[in-house]
Amino acid sequence: MLAAKKVVILGDGAAGTIMANKLRMLTHSSETRIVVIGNSKKHYFKPDGVHIPFKLKRYQNSVKPTRFLFNYGVEYIFDEATGIDVSQRTVRLKSGNSTSYDYLIIATGDRFDYNEIPGYIGEARHFYDLQHSLELANILDSFNGGKIVIGPSSIPYQCPPAPYEFTFLLDKYLRDRGIRDKTEIHYTFPLNRVFTMENVANFVNRLFDERGIITHTLFNVESINGLNKTVTSIEGEDVKYDLLIMVPPHKGQKMITDSELAGPSGYIDVDRHKLSYKDYDDVFAIGDATNLPISKAGATAHFESEYLANRIAHEISGNVYDETYNGEVACTTITGAGKAMTLYFSYDRPPRAEFQSKMDYLLKWTSADTYFSGMLRGIM
Amino acid sequence: MAEEIKADKVVDARGSFCPGPLMELIKAYKEAKAGDVISVYSTDNGTKTDAPAWIKKSGNELIKIIDRNGYVEIVMKKVR
Repeated sequence: MLAAKKVVILGDGAAGTIMANKLRMLTHSSETRIVVIGNSKKHYFKPDGVHIPFKLKRYQNSVKPTRFLFNYGVEYIFDEATGIDVSQRTVRLKSGNSTSYDYLIIATGDRFDYNEIPGYIGEARHFYDLQHSLELANILDSFNGGKIVIGPSSIPYQCPPAPYEFTFLLDKYLRDRGIRDKTEIHYTFPLNRVFTMENVANFVNRLFDERGIITHTLFNVESINGLNKTVTSIEGEDVKYDLLIMVPPHKGQKMITDSELAGPSGYIDVDRHKLSYKDYDDVFAIGDATNLPISKAGATAHFESEYLANRIAHEISGNVYDETYNGEVACTTITGAGKAMTLYFSYDRPPRAEFQSKMDYLLKWTSADTYFSGMLRGIM
Repeated sequence: MAEEIKADKVVDARGSFCPGPLMELIKAYKEAKAGDVISVYSTDNGTKTDAPAWIKKSGNELIKIIDRNGYVEIVMKKVR
């Protein structure tokens, strides 16, 4: 009997967890050993970060202990990869150990690089992790009017719709508190529209106009001056603020660059249809770790995992898998108080941004439950 | 014969999709010094409008847009 193939998955976030659980459901433990390496004690459902600053959701329901999220038969090692040698098929770990693999799936995500923008630390706020979402809730509590500036500082960043989702919820929050007329909302975006995809940008722009939200396009943040409360773009525009909510610059993991799997950006160049790294048929990357031209979002990792788990399961069992990954993503985004819009798209097919509905909002509202009970478990 | 402008930095963003080429151009701009000529190659249709809009707004100089075989080349000079 042949030894079981060892699949090592680096990362215990959405991409790594979904991938491990899907593959476990598709393969028998006698033929596949699945090892996940990660160091997160808690798994946070990041999309709830747009609700938490407005106290619309209790954060406790958005967090689960990581080690309980893996299906039976997935080995979870609490450690951190410090280096990858694809020629030797080994991964070095922080503990001093190393591990070999037959298949390696890199799902190490990305990170915030606050130092990229002088003046960011201590001055700008954001809602891209739980701690900062909770801090922002306190800051909004004591906000009584003024000028709020919101936007992504640069591209790429996680969950591209999140800044506009937050802005719609902020507009509603300020109206409910009776201080919308004392507040200017300014929205900045790095491109010459308010979103990456043109038809979604047109849709969102119309809703911004209806709500009196002022936009600044082609605005890539260069620096922040906390003394005179000004954010300056590379393009030379200065915008004053009283409260600055700015998505921090993102980068891939330093370990990826140090392992020479990517350049300074840290994002891994993978085949857009096979998700494989260079000519290696045993090294793959999924989720936020790649430089694919699609959203950095759990929804992307979900679709990528569906393809890759099937491909690896077929290969291990000696079968051919003819399908490819074509950039499919589906995500539901908030477009106002009690309204949302579901977008389906792929590499070649832009989303249709045509209507928003209460039903879509309910889908979004319950997505943490769907995520933890179904999607993350690999059964959706 | 038209004079060829020699770029100090060439960004080959062919195969990359919007907003990749523009972001690559901005990255090269940040690393360049005033007076440098930067050339970006792109196969994405959006670059033909996005990049000139960015060059104009950022106060730099658009030197030319050249339709090559299967891609577009946009040449700019860093002014500020």
